[in-house]
Amino acid sequence: MSGIATPGDPEIPDYGDASRCVIDNGVFCTDWFVQQWPEVFQPALLEHVVMTVVAVAVGFAISFIAAVLAYRRAWLSSPFGAVATFLYTLPPLALFQLLVPVTGLTMVTVEIALVCFTLVILFRAVLAGLLGVPDDAKRAARGMGLDSGQILRMVELPLAIPSIISGLRVATVLTVSIATIAAFVVDAGLGSPILKAISSPFNTQFIGAGALAVLLAFVLDGLLALVGRALTTWTRAKV
Amino acid sequence: MNESQHRTTGPERTERSVSITFDRATKIYPGSETPALDALSLTVEAGELLCLVGPSGGGKTTALMLINRLIDLTSGDIRIGETSITDIGAIELRRKTGYAIQQTGLFPHMTVAQNIAVVPRILGWSAARIDARTDELLELVGLTPTAQWRARYPGQLSGGQQQRVGIARALAADPPLMLMDEPFGALDPITRTAVQDEFLAIHRAVGKTTVFVTHDIDEAIKMGDKIAVLRPGGLLAQLGPPEDLLAEPADDFVASFLGAERGLKRLGLYRLGDLAGEQREPLPDWPRLPAGMTAREALSCATAERADGVIVADGETPERAVPVARLLQPEVSEGAA
Repeated sequence: MSGIATPGDPEIPDYGDASRCVIDNGVFCTDWFVQQWPEVFQPALLEHVVMTVVAVAVGFAISFIAAVLAYRRAWLSSPFGAVATFLYTLPPLALFQLLVPVTGLTMVTVEIALVCFTLVILFRAVLAGLLGVPDDAKRAARGMGLDSGQILRMVELPLAIPSIISGLRVATVLTVSIATIAAFVVDAGLGSPILKAISSPFNTQFIGAGALAVLLAFVLDGLLALVGRALTTWTRAKV
Repeated sequence: MNESQHRTTGPERTERSVSITFDRATKIYPGSETPALDALSLTVEAGELLCLVGPSGGGKTTALMLINRLIDLTSGDIRIGETSITDIGAIELRRKTGYAIQQTGLFPHMTVAQNIAVVPRILGWSAARIDARTDELLELVGLTPTAQWRARYPGQLSGGQQQRVGIARALAADPPLMLMDEPFGALDPITRTAVQDEFLAIHRAVGKTTVFVTHDIDEAIKMGDKIAVLRPGGLLAQLGPPEDLLAEPADDFVASFLGAERGLKRLGLYRLGDLAGEQREPLPDWPRLPAGMTAREALSCATAERADGVIVADGETPERAVPVARLLQPEVSEGAA
């Protein structure tokens, strides 16, 4: 799929005026990385962020609705859970193979696959959060005359936030990682330079892209942790 | 109870207090053969505090949850004032009914002020009105200075403080009706006594019709204007004021539920200050006790001192001698006073 080099491809090091590090194919050549940053790594990083955020957002929306339904109608929780688990067990590459004939070599294929992998984590996290709401709080809310929408919004969801946030964190880190495989389908994301580095084994290329993926996972995880903290001040209130 | 000292703060107050009538109210849970509550008929007058007591399986919590439609009647009816609860929307009914439960049900993610404000907010009160009401309620339940308590989370409060907030929250929208399901059951004895006293004072001040579920007969004797004793199977065993129950239990079940000390418990209902005394010269050398003590406590003091009576000394009226014989028949003394 790498095919003919497009303008965005990393430039194969020109041994003419390259640095010592590049000529020796050192572990990581900062000068080359910096030089390629605007053309290769920055766009790939942005694409990766978009892929991840879209996948987690869509996955969360689906899981959230499914979890609320399963919470209200307990019999739904087994079938929903089974479907989500099944999708999670599919090998990502096999899922791509399955989808390409339908949706082609497009971002849609990638997003469908990525969303599938988030579902089981997010569904279970939201459901566990809702099921963990203390019974006395629910009974009091009902007894006070809140309708079921108000109970969900004012009581159940806020109390489920810690569980929801931890699910989002796991799903996000997982998606950042799996999204590198998307390069098999589309020439986008941090997987792209990694895949290309397989055919031209230049260390800096895949180590740089790989390190960016790891860094991105940490940053997104940290951001979600901060959001979670901001939303759950009550859990840390000192006696 | 007394209806005189009701306070008003808002223009759109609901009616102060209403009666509740159970009319052969029956609940059979799905899958169960026998009723949890069996044709209960009784009336709680406006402003009255009714204690529902009985062993587990007596249907007291069922009776309570039927009132605000947390569960639905199988047959019979319950009326609030003249209106059947089935003619009032469940949500509307609950918003007009204060509800306090054993584990308080405070929302752990909301501060004390936010907890109290839940129903007023839904009812669309202005922020200023909610603020004023919150302060008023925190003062009422003795959490002062209010500014210090408003911003705390339930997890930062002791059990007794949480229960006070629970009561304040139940009173927030000034409902004419209060339902309390073993609200003090989880408190230690000392805190419990304090919160009971506070709640009684509040009840006397705001005069709301209250149904109070407890498994503790002593709590029922202390709190109730009337007590309804339910027996397993949800049948009403006896209904009446505490003194009537203690003096004349309807049957062995009620007698055993009241306990072997029911005679003494009855004496606990009378205050020494209300008993007629004798002005003797000189006063005998009996223990001198404050007028606020109960006849039961006075009897205990007299026994401890091996005295034939006690002296009531409240510092205002002349000191009086009350012989043990009087302590044993407090209702007679009351009549003579």
